[in-house]
Amino acid sequence: MKLGTLAAAFALAGTAAFAAEKTLDIGVSDALTGGAAVYGLPQANAVKMAAEEINAAGGITVGDDTYMLNVIAYDDKANPTEASNSVRKLLDRDGVKFILGFCCSGATGAVASFIENEDAVMLVGNAAERSITTREIPNLTRTRPPADYTGAAAGTFVAQKGHKKVAVLGALDIGFYASYVDAFEKELEKAGGEIITRESFGLKDRDMTPQLTKIRELGPDAILVVGYVEPAAFIYRQAVELGIDVPRYGFTSGSEEQFLRVATSEQMEGVWDLRPTELTLLSASDNGIAYHKNYSEKYGIAPSPSSPYAYDQTYALKDAIEAAGTVEDTEAVAAALRELPVPDEVVMQYLPVDGKMFDVNGQAYTSNGAFQWQNGNWVFVQDLPSDAAAYSAFLSTID
Amino acid sequence: MIEIFQQIINGMAIGGVYVLIALGLTTVFGILGIAHFAHGSVSMFGGYLTFFLVVMWGLPLLAAIAIALVVGLVLGLLIELLAYRPVRNASHINAFIVALGLTMMVEGLNLEFFGHEQVVIPTNLNRVFNIGGVTIPELRLYVILAAALLIAAMTVFVEKTKTGQAIRAVAENRDAAILMGVNVNTIPLVVFSISTALGVCAGVMVGALFAIAPGIGEGLVVKGFAVLVLGGLGSIPGAVIGGLVLGITEALAAGFISSAYKDVIAFIIMILVLLVRPQGLMGKA
Repeated sequence: MKLGTLAAAFALAGTAAFAAEKTLDIGVSDALTGGAAVYGLPQANAVKMAAEEINAAGGITVGDDTYMLNVIAYDDKANPTEASNSVRKLLDRDGVKFILGFCCSGATGAVASFIENEDAVMLVGNAAERSITTREIPNLTRTRPPADYTGAAAGTFVAQKGHKKVAVLGALDIGFYASYVDAFEKELEKAGGEIITRESFGLKDRDMTPQLTKIRELGPDAILVVGYVEPAAFIYRQAVELGIDVPRYGFTSGSEEQFLRVATSEQMEGVWDLRPTELTLLSASDNGIAYHKNYSEKYGIAPSPSSPYAYDQTYALKDAIEAAGTVEDTEAVAAALRELPVPDEVVMQYLPVDGKMFDVNGQAYTSNGAFQWQNGNWVFVQDLPSDAAAYSAFLSTID
Repeated sequence: MIEIFQQIINGMAIGGVYVLIALGLTTVFGILGIAHFAHGSVSMFGGYLTFFLVVMWGLPLLAAIAIALVVGLVLGLLIELLAYRPVRNASHINAFIVALGLTMMVEGLNLEFFGHEQVVIPTNLNRVFNIGGVTIPELRLYVILAAALLIAAMTVFVEKTKTGQAIRAVAENRDAAILMGVNVNTIPLVVFSISTALGVCAGVMVGALFAIAPGIGEGLVVKGFAVLVLGGLGSIPGAVIGGLVLGITEALAAGFISSAYKDVIAFIIMILVLLVRPQGLMGKA
């Protein structure tokens, strides 16, 4: 009898020890090097930080089991082929079922095209191309709103400022930037304004003086810059150097640190960034302030404004797994994500649709905001009109 | 009219960088017959090193450039001695493969030493001059002047010094140069050192005007070879004219036709020139 009790005690202790040591691998596919690393690397860092926080707080509880998260991150260089390979490695070699990250639309679109057939859940972060959440992929969700949702709000804002002739300089060969400008133009035209020229630049371009010279000759009321942080920073600097003295609006989501590597604070003064209400220290909630502090201490650099999309993914995944009560049944976890209220720990300011973080398309919405560079910082100035429910209904109509 | 002048000024700064890159390539190719693909990566190394010395060590910009130049001269010697000299008498394909391998090696070293992030060399040259509506940022003005000075110095060196005469002699006829007592083992060392130093200067200019990042050097060396073909292989005046033509054409194409196709338009013009003058603008028929 004593032996039986002892054996039962050992078995219980063994189970408890086993439960405490369970590990759940989660994958990250993102741009850790190359031009898009300004978005991808902070996202990967954010996932790692969230995973550490979750582990420190006791992990993810599924029934009697507790799972500690282990992050496996691969560099997809924002390249569709590399991203497909990274995700295949995560799925086939590492046996990962939950994949996060995804800063950039081209790479994300490539993975989205096959993820539906996999026993996995894909959580998309910063990638803003609308089509990612119009394909009705049940095991895919996205924390960042589509670019045109924000572009429409930006167009209304600029029109309200009274600008009639806006010159656009953007990475227009990238779909989501073009869709931002299209939505912007529609709203601008409603108010009697127009886009007088659309000039483009490539991801690696750093000399935009030819395009800016052309824009200067056209005499716009304002310029709109849409593109990655680094070329955008050069545009702001070169516009000042060419004596272009009109309001400069943008859609870049760069941090102060990223812009100041290229342009001086004086050259940046007055620039607007019209984007989802992403993290800046001067507009952050308590969660945002804590995120900024913890990230800065951990990585020795301030987080980029869009990096919390990935941080929030991790907490959404945690809550969904706990709600589904499984780490094996990915369909159940994907379904739980669709039913999830906004987690308490998230940094971004989500606008729930029907009380849920993600709508039926798997799309989350944040509020949009107008940020302005003032004395070396991005300062939140005001909310932009953002109707998440209406946009969600519109998104459902698109094939 | 102001727009045209402005675009020409815009194009001259980047054209100056193309000239320096092409000068380094043309001396190596003209004299040694080597397509030195690693030149762009080496010039990026110079830019990275200058950034490192200024930002990490806090050295004044000019001191950092001087140190980077000395390192460039030594690096040039080493490249010739360790990479190209062993295959000097082998088939051309060997030097070609060495050049490709060297490019990957230097790119890898840049990544290892300096990381993957874009860096911009801080200069504090932020003034802007306005002459009759044409604006010239102080930094661009210095880049144009520095490029002009280096071109002049290179020309004087090649035309007026004994070493320069020896380089030209080897370029014209290596065997005759040996008969005339020219030390043909020393000339490649000098050529690579000068070429690399010019590359370092170009790297510093790119790093200050724009940015240095992995992959930028490869793009630059492609433009450098385009200038070489446009100006005429092995021709120093050809490199100067070709570089300026390419830089200004790119600016004018972006400004007056389409920014999306500025590279395409610049290369179409290059092809048109070569249809008329296959030997390049300043090349010998």
